[in-house]
Amino acid sequence: MSDAPDRDLLAAEYVLGTLEGDEADQAAHLLATDPAFADAVHAWQERLAPLAACVPAVEPPAEIWDRIEATTMPAQSATVIPIAFRRRLRLWQASTGVAMAIAASLAAFIVLRAPSPRVAVLAPMTGRVPVLLATAGSEGVLTVRPDGAITVPSGRDLELWALGKGETRPRSLGVLPVGGRRLVARLAPGTQLLVSLEPRGGSPTGQPTGPVLYGGQLTAVE
Amino acid sequence: MPEDNPPPVAASAADESARLLLRCAAGDRVAFRTLYDRWGARLHGVALRITRQSALAADATHDAFVQVWQQAGRFDPARGSAEAFLISLVRYRALDIVRRRARETPGYDAAEDRPDEAPDALTQLVGSAEGAALHRCLALLGAERRRLVLMAFVDGLSHSELAEKLSVPLGTVKSWIRRSLASLRDCLAA
Repeated sequence: MSDAPDRDLLAAEYVLGTLEGDEADQAAHLLATDPAFADAVHAWQERLAPLAACVPAVEPPAEIWDRIEATTMPAQSATVIPIAFRRRLRLWQASTGVAMAIAASLAAFIVLRAPSPRVAVLAPMTGRVPVLLATAGSEGVLTVRPDGAITVPSGRDLELWALGKGETRPRSLGVLPVGGRRLVARLAPGTQLLVSLEPRGGSPTGQPTGPVLYGGQLTAVE
Repeated sequence: MPEDNPPPVAASAADESARLLLRCAAGDRVAFRTLYDRWGARLHGVALRITRQSALAADATHDAFVQVWQQAGRFDPARGSAEAFLISLVRYRALDIVRRRARETPGYDAAEDRPDEAPDALTQLVGSAEGAALHRCLALLGAERRRLVLMAFVDGLSHSELAEKLSVPLGTVKSWIRRSLASLRDCLAA
């Protein structure tokens, strides 16, 4: 009990990051073994963390996210095909304000599987597990149905977009309920289907205003 | 179209980050990416400031977000803020990386090439209630002690690096730091 104030200051120095040698080892040992010390460290993290606001933010290079993805994604059996859409998506990004990092990861991680007629598998920008499956019939009916868990924050809607080959601006196909939707849209193979997060009722501007969450390419398959 | 009584921006942003962490704990990749978009630049800035080398900073930012994904389940919004959780992760990683580098590289001088002045962008602090309280309490420390605390937290200098940088004995630095921290604790509790 008598060493409690000392322990608390040791926790403070641990969080501040100034400890070295034996003192650093002692703090690390206490953190792992003494719940009271861990609580003290926790409290000091709360006290000091606002200091980080003094440091200017620096946009991380795009490849850091790629590395994080590679480290944190479980191995997938689906084929991951890097698609040479970066340039077009960047043009699109430039015209819509969608973050380049998102466009880059979209280009890098679209998942194509080999299903029937004209199909797009839409996967999150953040992963490779398909969440939506789109099927375009010859009669111009596009069916989009969920193939995984989708959550939409309250007060927001998902919106479906088509980006045709050679086009730089996506065309809205309307709001996409999480349960999926059937709609009439004649889409050529090679069209990118994208899903963005928008205010309730869809983008007010006619172009995506929120993050593009999912994407995939419509592919003709015999 | 706006809500009737929108909460303060800082508070709602903090709540949103906490929600994103909880969703990460549940395995939500979209939440993870959203969290990265929201915090990546701030965490990378902290990592870069401490490591001062882009390759080391990239490692620290990468490691921190991997830990975010793996340890989001440890985050408890009842016990702490998303900011403290995230900032702490990246600082420990960055400090680990530079200290290891210093041990493994003879002649590596962590205090070298440091900006001479600790940042005095303290006005940034007043953007949040916690930051405002900290700002007020830091002001009570006086300029010298405040600078010491900031050089430690922001630049990631150790006791001996601070002593070298400020040309004061190691014991003096340690006692200044301890007294400053005790004073901050008392002030923040008041």
